[in-house]
Amino acid sequence: MSRASLATQTTAPPMPNRPNAAPGSRQKVQMRNVNFYYGAAHALKNVSLTLHDKTVTAFIGPSGCGKSTLLRILNRIYELYPGQRATGEVIVDNENILSPSLDLNLLRAKIGMVFQKPTPFPMSIHDNIAFGIRLYEKLSQSEIEERIESALHRAALWDEVKDKLKQSGLSLSGGQQQRLCIARAIAVKPEILLLDEPASALDPISTQRVEELIDELKSDYCIAIVTHNMQQAARVSNYTAFMYLGELVEFDETETIFTHPKERRTEDYITGRFG
Amino acid sequence: MSSEHVIKSFDEELRRLNNTITEMGGLAENQLATAIEAVVQRDSELAASVVETDAKVDQLQHDVDNLAVRLLALRQPLARDLREVFAAIKIASDLERICDYAANVAKRSIVLNQTAAARPVYALPRMARLAQLLVKDVIDAYVERDADKAYAVWMRDEELDEMYASLFRVLLTYMMEDPRNIGPSTHLLFMAKNIERIGDHATNIAEDLYFLVHGTPLVQKRPKGDDSSLESGQPRQVQA
Repeated sequence: MSRASLATQTTAPPMPNRPNAAPGSRQKVQMRNVNFYYGAAHALKNVSLTLHDKTVTAFIGPSGCGKSTLLRILNRIYELYPGQRATGEVIVDNENILSPSLDLNLLRAKIGMVFQKPTPFPMSIHDNIAFGIRLYEKLSQSEIEERIESALHRAALWDEVKDKLKQSGLSLSGGQQQRLCIARAIAVKPEILLLDEPASALDPISTQRVEELIDELKSDYCIAIVTHNMQQAARVSNYTAFMYLGELVEFDETETIFTHPKERRTEDYITGRFG
Repeated sequence: MSSEHVIKSFDEELRRLNNTITEMGGLAENQLATAIEAVVQRDSELAASVVETDAKVDQLQHDVDNLAVRLLALRQPLARDLREVFAAIKIASDLERICDYAANVAKRSIVLNQTAAARPVYALPRMARLAQLLVKDVIDAYVERDADKAYAVWMRDEELDEMYASLFRVLLTYMMEDPRNIGPSTHLLFMAKNIERIGDHATNIAEDLYFLVHGTPLVQKRPKGDDSSLESGQPRQVQA
C-alpha cells in the first residue's frame, strides 16, 4: 500500500456506522498529500483528508496553522496571487481540481466561499444575488426571481429583506450582510460550501442564525468551516480537523475531538493549554 | 492535572474543586472510622458527633456543585477538563452517600447501646476497616489521578461483599438461636449492609476516576462476592 493511500485511510475515518454520518453521505473531496507554499514558506505539509457530502467538517487550530490556506486550495483562489502554489491531489468527484486544465469558473461555481468579513457587492440586495446567477446560467427573469427568493429563504434572510430588495446590500447589518453573502453563494447551486470564519465578526444572535443556517444547509451540501471558536466547531460540525504549523494533527468525529482526543497537542489546544 | 492553562484562574478553580473533593474524601474516611469506634466502645456521644458532622459533608457537596456549575457556565471546559468537572460532581455525590451510611451506622449504634452487646458485633470493625481502606485508596488514587490504583479498589470490593455475606449468615444463625437476638441482630445487619454499600460507592468513584483518566468507561464484569440476596434463611437442601 502506498504512503498516500495509507495516510488517507488513517486520517479519514470511514463514514458508515458512525453516529454522526448523514445517511447515504459519500466522499466528496479527497485531499492527498497536499502541500502549499507562499513563495518559499511551506504553509501546508502533506495534508491528506476526506470531506464527505452532506456533512460539516470544521477546521480548528491557532492562527497561521494553515486552515484558511486549506480552504483557499479547494477553490484555487490562491491563484489570484503570484508565488503561491499547491502540490498533491485534490479530488472532487473523480477530478483533480489542482490540474491546470481545469475550468476555474466552473470550479468556483461548484464551490462557494464565504469570508470572515461580509463582502456584499456595492449594489442592491437583489442584484447581489442575481449577479452570480447571470454569470453562470441563462435563465428567464422569472426563473432568476424565483432563484433569488429561494436563496434568501434558505439563508433565513427573506423575511427581513423581502420589502427592500432594491436597497443596497451595504445598508444591511453585519449579520444580515453575512447571510446575504451565504445566499449569494448558494444561489448558484454549488456543491461545496467553504466558510472562512463566517460568524467571527457577528453578534451572538446573528452567529446563532448563521449556525442554524449551516445546520440546515448541511442536508444538501458538503460544508467546510474554519473557525476560531471551539464551541462553534463543536456545535455545527460532524467532523473536526485540528491543524498546527501546517500539519493535520488529528481528524476525527467532532464528539471525539472535544471529549477525548487522541493527540496531546489537540487536547492542549482545545483545553486552552497552548503556550 | 497536566500542564497549565493559559488562563491561570481556570487552573485555580479546578484546583479548588480538586481540593474540596479531597477534603470530602478525608472526612468520609474519618466519619466511618469514628462511627465504628463508637460501635466498638459503645460510646453514644461519639456516635452523636458523627451524626452531627454529617451536615459538614452536605455543605462540602454543595460547594462542589456550585464550583462545578460555575466552571461549566464560565469556562465551558472540554476534553480532560470537562471530565474533571463531570467526575467531581459524581464523586462528591458518592462521598456524600458514604458519609450518610457512616452516620446511619452511628445512629444504629446509639440504639444498640441500649441493649446488651450482641456477640457478632466483632465482625463489624473488620468489615469497616476494609471499607475504610477502599475509600482511602480510591481518594489517594483520585489525588494521584492513578487509574490503576482505582482499578485495584474496584476489584477489591469483592472481599467486602464476601465479608458481608458471611456476616449475614452468622446473624441469621444467631437470630434463629434465640428470638431475643432478632432486634439487635437486625440493627447489626443494617449496619453491615451500610458498610457493604460504602464499598459499592468506592467502586463507583473508581469507575469515575478511570473515566476521568482514560476518557473511556471501565467496562468489565466486576467480581461479586455477595449472594446473600438469594439466601432464604431455610436450611440448605443437601443434594442426594
